Amino acid sequence: MYELDMLAQGAQTLLNQPFALVLALLGVTLGIIIGALPGLTATMGVAILLPFTFGMDPVSGLLMISGVFFGGVYGGSVTAILLKIPGTPAAAATAMDGFELTKKGQAGIALGTATLSSFLGGTASVLVLIFLAPVLAGFALEFSASESFALAVFGLSIIASISGASVIKGLIAGFLGLLLATVGLDPMGGFPRYTGGYTELFNVPFIPVMIGLFAAAEAFKSLEDPAVRTGMAAALGRIIPPWSTFRRILGTIVRSTGLGVVIGIIPGAGADIAAFVAYNEAKRFSKTPENYGKGELAAVAACESGANGCTGGALLTMLTLGIPGDAVTAVMLGALTLQGLQPGPLLFKDHADLVFTLFAGMLVCYVMMLVVGLASLRFMGRILQMPKSILTPAILALCIVGTFAINNSLFDVGIMLAAGVIGYFMQKWDFPASPVVLALIMGPMAEASFRRALSLSNGSYDFLYTRPITAVLLLVAAFTLLLPLLRRLKSGGGAPPAGQGAVEATK
Amino acid sequence: MSHAPAPGGKAGLRPQDRIATLVIAGLVAAVAIAAIVVAQDFPATTLETDVGPARFPILYSIALLVLCGILAINTLRAPSAPRAETPAAERPSYGAVALGIAGTAACLLAMDYVGYGIATGVYLFGLMTLMGRRNLLMNAVIAAVLTAAIYATFAYALSVPLPMGSLFE
Repeated sequence: MYELDMLAQGAQTLLNQPFALVLALLGVTLGIIIGALPGLTATMGVAILLPFTFGMDPVSGLLMISGVFFGGVYGGSVTAILLKIPGTPAAAATAMDGFELTKKGQAGIALGTATLSSFLGGTASVLVLIFLAPVLAGFALEFSASESFALAVFGLSIIASISGASVIKGLIAGFLGLLLATVGLDPMGGFPRYTGGYTELFNVPFIPVMIGLFAAAEAFKSLEDPAVRTGMAAALGRIIPPWSTFRRILGTIVRSTGLGVVIGIIPGAGADIAAFVAYNEAKRFSKTPENYGKGELAAVAACESGANGCTGGALLTMLTLGIPGDAVTAVMLGALTLQGLQPGPLLFKDHADLVFTLFAGMLVCYVMMLVVGLASLRFMGRILQMPKSILTPAILALCIVGTFAINNSLFDVGIMLAAGVIGYFMQKWDFPASPVVLALIMGPMAEASFRRALSLSNGSYDFLYTRPITAVLLLVAAFTLLLPLLRRLKSGGGAPPAGQGAVEATK
Repeated sequence: MSHAPAPGGKAGLRPQDRIATLVIAGLVAAVAIAAIVVAQDFPATTLETDVGPARFPILYSIALLVLCGILAINTLRAPSAPRAETPAAERPSYGAVALGIAGTAACLLAMDYVGYGIATGVYLFGLMTLMGRRNLLMNAVIAAVLTAAIYATFAYALSVPLPMGSLFE
């Protein structure tokens, strides 16, 4: 088979370039650290390292950047699981069940599962890239503004699934997030909305809000219980899940990886969308959906394999069509151009040996990510052995510095603090934070794509039902939104009384 | 906060939770109304085929008003929970939370003047003391080490400059 032969040749070439392998290892390690730190994302990591690749040969430079990309997507899950600090937006989905597992003393298994799922999802996505790139490239071209709008609406419908006890409170949190997402420059006309004259608010302050709602709010909550303040955080426990447990979640990993690859192919949709969609579908197909949100291992596996499955998909569109699948591949496109390589169909024809050497290197990057990830878990687990009276202040300091690092702006830190206070009160009265984060991710995409699609269709709304992909996604979104409500009505309870969760939360 | 669904059927609602939920619904409704009022001043679009910058904020705000109304009705209709006294040892220490939040705000404000090092070091020391650690010397040492470690990671390893402080520039 052509691809297999070329891949073998590429692996052979790679073995003759040990420096490239060293740089790949460096990239993966840096990527994991960058991904784990709040405020720093894989995109920033790739952007920071890009200038260093100027003097390198194409394979070394691109492998180092790929290593940062892959490590960065995975790294966010570590602090999300241990400390409920999502290192990356995609890890916000992992934090929902990952941190609950840590509270149960199963942090080790959660981390091990996240690492294995990331490895499997990412490796499978690179294999899809290698063998199915020309076949799947055409799919990306089917997506225009109306399909992006429908995908965003589908993503938003997941709010009903992650709302927990009260769907009404979850929807309120979601629509508040959507309203917050309108703060900034209007996507079509550039008019500043609700900025109050502050130029810092011209872009949606997504990451400061996410860090505040998740990490800072949890840290403030730690301050209120005298017993918790002096106690240890949690135990790490076993890292590698037993085979019987892993076999149970293998189907979830396969499905989530597939979803991640498809979403990665779509321009503008990245690992964060893939993680939430994978979570929702895993819950939909689960025999025990009531366990989701309480510390379900399959949820962690779904989020991580979905997010890392996105990497191959995003690279596929970038390499075959020259269209970046997400922000990271947009920066990588620059790296390719700097190396004198033009992404597109001719890349595979004119530079086939270089491309397949790169593919072989990407597979090696994921193996390195697995080894480095598993090896560092015991060390990272020591974080949990710290008394909370030291860990909580350290978390808050990290939140402040990580938020500052985004734009070198103390204004962003102020937003993080405000979000932390609001998140603390939201926790107290059972308003979930995840819908706010989901809305901040999907809201801008939904509005911009809708308005663009409307302009492209000359003001006619028929794009909502005449384009097949759009219509299907909107139908699935309606189904996803209405199903939890219909289930509640069918069970004869209606929506649970408001504040019922608050009674449980104070016990 | 757990995302777990609440067990059982319709559990009761404590008076303070009922009031808090109604206050939150009221506040969110007020935000939604304010958003609609401000959106009236957004300029009309110049594109015939565009809905304009105000449409989506108004739609979201209307949805919020409807949802807050439903929440308020559900809250008023919920049965009352029986009174239960929380033992003193289990009562949450809201004073510590308030001090923690105030300390974080103070750190943020101070950082602009005195820089990352002093602001963060003092902040960490204060929080550790607030959380019950009584060995002040050890608190100071740990605060200094953590401050230095975070600085080394961000400023040196990742080339992210941290505030020097206007007093030292």
